[in-house]
This record gives sequence, C-alpha cells and structure tokens, in this order.
Amino acid sequence: MTRLSFRRTVALCARQELMLALRSRWTQIFAVVFAALALGVAFSGYILSGGRGVQDFARTAASLVQLVLLLVPLTALLLGVLSLTPGPGAAELLYSQPVARPAVLVGRTAGLLLALVAAEFIGFGASGLVIYANAGPEGLTGFFAVVAASVVLTAVCLGLAALISSDAGSHRRARALAFALVAWVVLVLAFDLAALGLASMLRSGTASRLLIVASLANPIDAIQTGALLAIEGTAAFGPASLALIRFSGSGARTGVLIGLSLAVWLVVPLVVASWRLARADI
Amino acid sequence: MIAFRALRKVFGRHVAVDDLTLRVEAGEVVALLGPNGSGKTTSLKAAAGLVHPTSGAIEIGSPGRPATEAEARSVLSFLPQRASFPDALTGHEILDFYRKLRRAPEGRVRDVLRFASLNGASDRAVATYSGGMIQRLGLAVALLPDAPVLLLDEPTAALDPDGLTAFYEVAERHAREGRTILFTSHQLGDVGRLADRFAVLVQGRLVRVLTQRELHDRLSATGVMRLRLRQCPAALLEAVRRHEPAADWVGDELVVPGPASKRPGVLSLVHGLDVEVCGITTEEGRLDTFYTALVAEAEGRGHAS
Repeated sequence: MTRLSFRRTVALCARQELMLALRSRWTQIFAVVFAALALGVAFSGYILSGGRGVQDFARTAASLVQLVLLLVPLTALLLGVLSLTPGPGAAELLYSQPVARPAVLVGRTAGLLLALVAAEFIGFGASGLVIYANAGPEGLTGFFAVVAASVVLTAVCLGLAALISSDAGSHRRARALAFALVAWVVLVLAFDLAALGLASMLRSGTASRLLIVASLANPIDAIQTGALLAIEGTAAFGPASLALIRFSGSGARTGVLIGLSLAVWLVVPLVVASWRLARADI
Repeated sequence: MIAFRALRKVFGRHVAVDDLTLRVEAGEVVALLGPNGSGKTTSLKAAAGLVHPTSGAIEIGSPGRPATEAEARSVLSFLPQRASFPDALTGHEILDFYRKLRRAPEGRVRDVLRFASLNGASDRAVATYSGGMIQRLGLAVALLPDAPVLLLDEPTAALDPDGLTAFYEVAERHAREGRTILFTSHQLGDVGRLADRFAVLVQGRLVRVLTQRELHDRLSATGVMRLRLRQCPAALLEAVRRHEPAADWVGDELVVPGPASKRPGVLSLVHGLDVEVCGITTEEGRLDTFYTALVAEAEGRGHAS
C-alpha cells in the first residue's frame, strides 16, 4: 500500500487544523477581543493625550506593540497546547496511520498558525481601516512592522506550544496548559526582571554583555526590539535593546542579529518537538 | 502476520508486558484476553507502532517489518479502546480526512458509512454523537483502508445490539477474506464467536494460548450430565463410576461430570439395567468460569479447571 508523502501529510493536517481552529469558539473570541483592543488603542491613545478622534498609524503602532507582546504569546501558547495536545483515543488513532509523526505535528502547527494569523488580521484590519479613514496613511510602515512582529511572535509561540505538547503519550492537557502559562510568565514578565536584576549586581561591561544576550535569548525581547526599531528607531528602547544596538553598531546589524535569534526560536522548538514526538509512547 | 518476539515494555518501574512471544498468522483471528492491567492494550499499541518496545520486537506483514516503521502501519488498521474525534467536525469530514491519509478511494467513505449506520448523522458534528455512535465511527475509520491486518482494542464496547450484529458480520467477512485480526475484549461472547485462538495475558505475561478446538475440549471436559431416575440401584453407580469415577448421587439425581463424549456410554448402562429415566439435563463448561479459573491460577489464587 502506498503512503502519503511528508509534504501532503503536512498539507492535509494543516487544512484540518485550520478548519477546526476557525470553528473554535476560542479563536473567534480571540479575533473579537483583539479587534476590540486594537480599535481601543487607536481611539484611546489620542484621547488620553488630550486630542479627539483617532491617532495615526505611527502612534497606534507604538501602542499596539505592547498589546501584541502581552496578548499574542498568551493566546498562541494556550490555544497551541489546547489544540496540539490530542486527547486519548484521538492521538492513538491519528498516529497509528502510516504517516510520519513530525509531518502531523508540523501540519497541525501550520494550520493553527494560519487560523491565529487570520484572527489577528481581523483585528489589525479593523483598526487599520478606521485609522486610514480618519488619519490617513502616515506611519503605515510602522503599523505593518507590528503586524509582521505579531505573525512572527505567533509562529514562535506555537513552536513552543508544540514543544510543550510533544509529550503526547502523557495525555496530560492540564499539565501542558500549566507549562504554557509558566512559559508565558517567564518570557513576558519574569525574564526581563531577572535579567535587569542580575545586571544591576554586575560590573558595567559584564552587565552590558548579559543584557545583550538576554535581549536575543528571549524571543519576546527580540521581537520588541525589532518592532520598536522599525517604528520609531531607538527612542523607545529599554536598557537591553540599547546595549544590543551599541554592541552591533547599527540598526541593520541589530536587525540581522534579531532575525538570527528568531530563526533559531522558530526552528529549534519544532525540531525538538518533532524529535520528542517521534520517540514518545502514545 | 503479526509476530511478537520476546516483547517487553516497562513504564517507569511498572512492567506492562513481559517476554511476550506470539505469532498471529495471516488469516487468523486471535483474541487477547486478560484482566484489566494485564498488558493487552500495551501489546496492541506496540503492534500498532504507538508504543516503543523496551526490548524485543514486533513485526507486521509479510515480509515482516518492525511495527514502529510507517511501512508496517500501512498494512494495518488500529481501533483504540476509546476512539475520540474533534467535536467540531462531522462524521463525514472525519472519515474523509482519514480516507485521504490512507489514500483510500472516495467510495470507501460511503461503504464504511453503510456499516457504521450512523442513521443520517454523518453530516452532524461529532459533539452531538452518543458513545455508541463514536465507537461505530471509530470502527468505520479502522475499516476505511481495507487493511490486511486489523488491531481492535475492545471493538464491541458501547455498541448496541444492531452495532454488534453489524460488527460481527464485518469481522467474520474479514476473517473469511483471509485478513489477520488481533483483538482484545472483555465480552467472552465476542471471543467465542470470532476467535480461532485465545491468548491469555496475566500481569503482563502470556499464560496460555488455546485454539478454538482446545478450548472446546476443555469446556466440554468440565460439563456435567444430570439424570433423574425412578430407581437408584447401587450397581448402576458402580458401573457408571467405571466410566466416570467422579459420578455420584445428589438427591434423586445421578450427576455425571465429564466430557459429552462419555455420556452415550452412561445412558447405555442405565438402559442396560432397565432403570427408568425421568429427566436429563446437561450443562457444558462455561467460558467465563474457565477464564476466571485460569486467571486465578496464573495469579496464584486458585486452580484452573
């Protein structure tokens, strides 16, 4: 009997996961909440600074970065482990088919990525249309940078979710969810605090090197630095991002370093997850 | 063909399967029996390539390929103990997904839906299905690829009488067509009806393999005939005991344990002594009693009859 190729297995699993994710109430809620918050950012930023109406793309993009860095990792990690950790019976039936387990994992992750990116595009699209209609196209590049950052961040976090759920044999969805929450707290909140706290106890040169490593080692920091660099240069940089740009010497070189860091974060979790899944008892 | 060669599977400190050697030939139907936790499901999962052996090996098909290779899985179909599916998909969408994964022709979905008899529910979301309907859908998925090797983990659990009938028909047809079936069940009715051989696992170890003929002989040997007689002459009991030493009077009945083959001889003796027979009842050995005794013996709790 002939077997389905790796590529076709990926495509088939991606299609099914996309269909499932689009029908999922959680994805639909995420799309609505993200759109509401993005519109809220577009309106509220200007009002808070004493103006009326809608702020332009550049200001909205700068405000949206923080929303994206908080909400997107949380959503991608939680929906990722919920979708990618199959329940007992489902995993057994699926992985007893003559297909490569990594192809199933990659396909399902890709399908979920497409669904979440579609939900984010609804949010960005709604706020983008309102801003364009009220404030014109000024700062559109920065806005697109946030959209791109959001897509990359979603992909990175889904890779981490795949890694967390790759121990499919355990069938422990609750444990996977707990791990996902811990990962979010560490990446989004605890990592920066720990890095800054440690740096404050070190000598200037060592502290600077630590901050450079920290800003590349954490994908959230790397994306934040990249997005802010694209939107408004170094004006909104924190100490770690500043240390990184001083080390690299230019914005372009910083971009390359960030790109390399994110490439590692995109590939390594999925490769490790595939390796673990291939060896797991289901 | 399915060949377990000294399969051992250890989860942490728990030995789930220990030194299982069993060969299921092409076209054979074998039932794996045993109490809960005896290693039946782990053995089936290992044959389906889902569980990696700690030591030993399992080969599937002819020529035999290691069960953990995708090539081996291309000749088998596995039904897990509790099949589950995404709630948001319809039965038809699920079957179509698995059909494409197995590269089965489109018409197969229609064929297996006919077997599954989901009563027009194939276009409804699985979330609305009952446990029995999900089990039927799982069986339909397992039958989709028309695979020569079927591994079924408690296939009749949760099936209603119609589902059971449909399953028996399909399983018997598959057996006639020369497919290899290895299944587990706690329903001894399934076992007696479908299996050519029975492999009994207790605490991860294979304790007995019996053919249908051997089982029949053993059950027959544990049968009993009761004769209600008008008179009770002492000479009759002596004569009968020469045939079956365990024969005895119980109340007004002559109780003759032993295989059915000895009963005509006993009846001849009764007629020979001109004793009037008021009633005859016979009772064959029961599979559940035999199985319980076998398991108890293997667990060191008693003796097999």
